[in-house]
Amino acid sequence: MHSLASICIVLGGICIVSGFVIGYAHTLIMEEKLLTITQASELLGVSVDTLRRWDKSGKLVAIKKNGGTHRFYREKDLEIFASDLMKFASEWIEDGIDFPGTFYCPTSSIFNARLTKMEYALMLKPGFEKLFSLVTLVTGEIGDNSFAHNLGKWPDTPGIFFGYNLEKGVVVLADRGLGILETLRQVRPELPSHVVAVEVAFTEFVSGRAPEKRGNGLKTVREVVVEQPIDLFFISGDAEVRMQGLDKIFRVTRGQRVIRGCLAKIEFK
Amino acid sequence: MKLQLGKFGKTLISRELGSEAFKAFQTTLRELPKDEELEIDFSDVLTLSPSWADEFLSPLLDLMSNRLVLLPSDNLSVHATLRVLQEANEYTFRIKSW
Repeated sequence: MHSLASICIVLGGICIVSGFVIGYAHTLIMEEKLLTITQASELLGVSVDTLRRWDKSGKLVAIKKNGGTHRFYREKDLEIFASDLMKFASEWIEDGIDFPGTFYCPTSSIFNARLTKMEYALMLKPGFEKLFSLVTLVTGEIGDNSFAHNLGKWPDTPGIFFGYNLEKGVVVLADRGLGILETLRQVRPELPSHVVAVEVAFTEFVSGRAPEKRGNGLKTVREVVVEQPIDLFFISGDAEVRMQGLDKIFRVTRGQRVIRGCLAKIEFK
Repeated sequence: MKLQLGKFGKTLISRELGSEAFKAFQTTLRELPKDEELEIDFSDVLTLSPSWADEFLSPLLDLMSNRLVLLPSDNLSVHATLRVLQEANEYTFRIKSW
C-alpha cells in the first residue's frame, strides 16, 4: 500500500488551494486508473465519510462517472492534494479541520518511527550526506518538545502533525497543545507575553517540566539554524520566529494572528 | 571500557528514550571498576539530539567526571549536541584525539 509520506518525497513544485477539483477531459480520465473512495481513504488516511464531506464542501471534489453517484479519484490528484503541508497544519491548529491521517502522529513513538524513516531518506539526498543529521535533530527536538510539554495536558487532540517533502526540502510540524507561554508559565509565572516566552525558550536553559533540570532543545535548534543552510519559521500564540536566508538573525516578533499550540516550518535546499 | 552508543539506537532523539537508556545502562555501570575510564563511541549513531544526550551523558558526567571520555566523531549532530551540553553543564568534555 502507498503511504503519503513516501509519495510526498517524489512530488515537486506543486501548490494547491482549497476547492481543488479532480478530473479534466473525459479522454484523460479514460486513460488513467481511478481509485474508489475506499482506496482513496486508505491512501490519504481519512475516513470515507470525511472524503464525502470534502467532496460536498468542494475541498476535494470526486469524479462521478457518467452522472453516477459513486465517487472516484485520480491517484496523482490525491498526491497533489496531500502536498500542501502548511495549509493542512495551519487549518488544523487554527480551526481543527481534518487532514490526511498519514501526517498524524498520535504518540511520540509513532513520531520517532516516522522521523527515522525521514532520516534514512534524507541521507540519500545529494548534498545532505552530513547535513541530514542536523535536519533530523531540528525536526526531532521541535516534535519531541510538543509531546514532552503536553503529556497528560492536551487540551483536545493529542499528538502532532508531521509532514515532509524532501524533494522540496520542507518539514512541517504542528500541535494543538498548550503553547510555549502556558508551558513556561508553569515555572516562570511572571512571563508577560508569547513573544517573551518564545524568546526565553530559544535562548535560555529553561524547562517547562520542573523539577526537570533544563531544556536545551530549542536553544540547540536556534544555534543550528543560525549556522547551517536550514531555515525556520516558528509560531506559538502570536509570537513568530523567522530565520531565513543567508544572514540569519534570531528575533521574535509579534504576528498578526494568534494560534494555539505550535507550528513550525523547516526548510533546507 | 568502551560503550557503543549506537547500541541504544541509531537515531537518539527523545528525552524519554534517553532516560530509559540511562536506566538500562545502570547494571553495566555498576560493574565498572572505580578507576576505569568509560569511552563513548558515537560511530554508529546517525543523529544525536541534546534532549536524549542530556538524559544520558549529563548524569554520566555527574557520576564519572573526568573518567568519562568521548571518542571523536565527524557527525554534525554530535558536534552541535556536545557544544550545547558543555554550555549547560559548564564543563568541557574530555575528547580523545583521532
